Amino acid sequence: MFYLTLIFGPLFLAVVVYALFRNFEGVVKYIALALFAKMLAASIELYNALPAEGYLKLGSFLHVEAFNYVLTLQVDMLSVVMLILSSLLLILVTLSSWTMKNQAAYFSLLIMFSGAIFGVFMSTNLIWFFIFWELTLVPMFFLVGIWGAEQRVYAAVKFFLYTHVASMLILLAFYLLYAQTGFLDVTLIKEAAIATPALVWWLLFLGFAVKLPIFPFHTWLPDAHVQAPAPISVLLAGVLLKMGAYGMIRFVIELMPESSREYAIYMLILGLITAFFAGFLAIYQTHIKKMVAYSSISHMGLVMIAIATVSYEGLSAALYEMIGHAFIISPLFLIAGYLHHKTGSWQMGDMGGIVQRAPYVSAIFVLAGMAALGLPGTMGFIGEITILISAIKVNGAWIAVIALASLISAGYLIWTFRRVIYGEMSPVVASADFKMHKIEFSALVLFAGLIVLFGLYPQPIFDAANQAFAHFGGVQ
Amino acid sequence: MSLFALLFGGALVSPLIKNMALLKLFALLILLWSGYALSQGAGVGLVFFEQSSYVRLFEAVVLIVSAALILHLDKEDHGTITQLLFIAAASMALLESTTLLSFVITFEAVSIISFVLVSNIKDATQAEGAIKMFFAGALASGIILFGLGLFAVSGHDFNASALSVDDTFGMIALFIILIGIFYKLTIFPMHTWAADTYAQVSHTNAAILSAIVKTVVALATFKIFMPFLAQLGEMPIYLLAALAVITMTLGNILALYQKSIARILAYSSIAHAGYMLIPFAAVASTYAPTGLLYIAVAYIFMQSAVFLVLEILRKELEIKTLDDLKGLGQKNPLYALLFTVQLFSLAGIPLLAGFIAKAVAFYAGVDAGLWPLIMIALLNSALSVGYYAWIVKHIYFDEAQTKGVITGRFTALLGQLILLGGTIYFGVIAADIFGVLS
Repeated sequence: MFYLTLIFGPLFLAVVVYALFRNFEGVVKYIALALFAKMLAASIELYNALPAEGYLKLGSFLHVEAFNYVLTLQVDMLSVVMLILSSLLLILVTLSSWTMKNQAAYFSLLIMFSGAIFGVFMSTNLIWFFIFWELTLVPMFFLVGIWGAEQRVYAAVKFFLYTHVASMLILLAFYLLYAQTGFLDVTLIKEAAIATPALVWWLLFLGFAVKLPIFPFHTWLPDAHVQAPAPISVLLAGVLLKMGAYGMIRFVIELMPESSREYAIYMLILGLITAFFAGFLAIYQTHIKKMVAYSSISHMGLVMIAIATVSYEGLSAALYEMIGHAFIISPLFLIAGYLHHKTGSWQMGDMGGIVQRAPYVSAIFVLAGMAALGLPGTMGFIGEITILISAIKVNGAWIAVIALASLISAGYLIWTFRRVIYGEMSPVVASADFKMHKIEFSALVLFAGLIVLFGLYPQPIFDAANQAFAHFGGVQ
Repeated sequence: MSLFALLFGGALVSPLIKNMALLKLFALLILLWSGYALSQGAGVGLVFFEQSSYVRLFEAVVLIVSAALILHLDKEDHGTITQLLFIAAASMALLESTTLLSFVITFEAVSIISFVLVSNIKDATQAEGAIKMFFAGALASGIILFGLGLFAVSGHDFNASALSVDDTFGMIALFIILIGIFYKLTIFPMHTWAADTYAQVSHTNAAILSAIVKTVVALATFKIFMPFLAQLGEMPIYLLAALAVITMTLGNILALYQKSIARILAYSSIAHAGYMLIPFAAVASTYAPTGLLYIAVAYIFMQSAVFLVLEILRKELEIKTLDDLKGLGQKNPLYALLFTVQLFSLAGIPLLAGFIAKAVAFYAGVDAGLWPLIMIALLNSALSVGYYAWIVKHIYFDEAQTKGVITGRFTALLGQLILLGGTIYFGVIAADIFGVLS
């Protein structure tokens, strides 16, 4: 029952908080922070309580026998890792939104989002999974549409429609699975081990590929990420894209390993195109946040390549890179938003010499950027090297070309450092005031700490990955 | 006490009460009494009428929504209360009718009362909407009677409680009746009157017509025609599926192009008629009755709620077009939220009744092997998010223009909260609706 309140509690709390504290805005962020801390604590508790293999049942609610429509809550290591990541990011997002405008509504929506995202990672009933999956769109739609930049309305509506259409493919695939197996619970469908038709695989793959996002379905992302306020970009990159990767692993690879191996080549090709295409587009950008957004897509392409190996090592590498991507891209988005806020410009050409005005923030930007291009000692290096090794084992030596993707990211990131952080100080920078709220800065420091911590000591994540994928049948 | 006699008697007595507050109280008491009688197992209680748990749930929902509507009404809608009670009485009879003859008679009764309902006209625009509905309705009645005549000539017994037909002539006759009924359900190509009528008559009347009348007719038709539909071969089923697809696609695409909110809602109502036709085509599935019941229950709550909110917005703030809505979220957060939740429910956003209703109804289609139809329906549902989200965009994302604050009567708000409760309750808890068939 406690875990049910972790999902529905925030949904209810969001309305109550907004109704009660609309006129006492300052309080709401503390409520949000306390809630997210509680959620993190609950996730860590789950991490400790997990059995060595398989699922931990947390109960099932709202039974409707006729339709197998039961809210079954159960978690395995994969979902617990996602829960910890999401609640941790929600805390960091709250810290970095400390001075956001119109706080009552903003944090109410964040609270609502937290309930929905816990539902996504905890429910194994397909329809309830879908319910929470769709529900995450609603707070995001408002968060992008109300607090976003100039083109926010276009970005919000495009994001909503685009991902909603993709969800419809997923729902149809779920329907077909149910019609075929008579089960709606993912664990039961897996046990039934029925050969699924190619149509189901493709529907699920395309549905999750939009969220991931994979070329050519990525076009919603640059708009949504660029127009969203910086903390929401963090949530989009850190949690929403991870939902896509989670769905890909849970419903495509785990449920249909045979078909996945059969179609692995398509996943691989699309992953490669995504990594390179987005990398080249990132070089081309002069808009700092767009550069970060394309860099984000490029890294998700690497995750796709790792998933496409359909092997334990590949999935472990994918999970590591998913976490690494969340911690690395987040400070880049936050700092890009901060620089725009201070200089009033998105163009990298207008910036320059930031390091002289804001040395600490610049240091974190450079650290995160270096991590993104794979500097040893950071999460980026471990992620890329493990993906490379697992991909070579499965696909042969030619796949080493993905190292070139790293080279491309080195190209645009180092050039960005040259244009934005170092170089001559531009008049815009000289006249700007670079003061940053201490709490917002502390969020950046925490991100930097996490990048280095898990870069030097990746073992906990790989232990978790081993446990998460050990009970996946049919994966090599 | 017979449910029908109670509501019908209440409707007959109601014109005698001149004071509006007293009349509302009287109507609410009648509905409450009916609700009590229903909970005690009362039905219409006449020969040719029979209650099942399937219709009992929907009768309760009709009573609840009627109560919410009555709470919403104010002084100028004096006559509407009487007509609403008549419609509720006729709806009970229509839902419970077990033979073709009693079905057609009660169906015509509902039609005639709804003609009276739309004749509460204040200007030429409303008159135009009312006239269109009257002509379409008269034509539909003619077609239905023609079908009924053919059916009688072909030697079938229309007093039989199960429609079983084994000859082509009888089948054609029943199909003709079905086409006449499709006028009321606004199925393509019999939909043309609906957009104008729903958008032009007063929003309260539009709520009654597009929410109560439409769902009651859909459910009663399904109940009577289920044995007939189950007999149909592949081709007629594909024809129904095609009508469903065309109706929903047409409704959704035309809704995208509208500037007036009432017209958007009118076209969205046509699109929903298309969704309601899916269980008709998917009659082979055991989920079809549940799917239709769910979509009817969800739809009656959300559709009446959006038209009633729109009525409040029009009356107090002169809101008619999308542009008038700008900034509503900042000035009137409560009504903006009520409107948004119900619109999201119509769009099929989860944890609201609209989602799970579509989920079940569409699954019936997959279960019956019509998955390409469901693919199109799902994409349609996604398309419809385009205009619902566009309304929400005007409410929340645009700069506020100078606009007053809605004072709003308490009773109207209470009615809205009842409807909101229904939308959320049936969006989270599905056991009640699945329970009626098991």
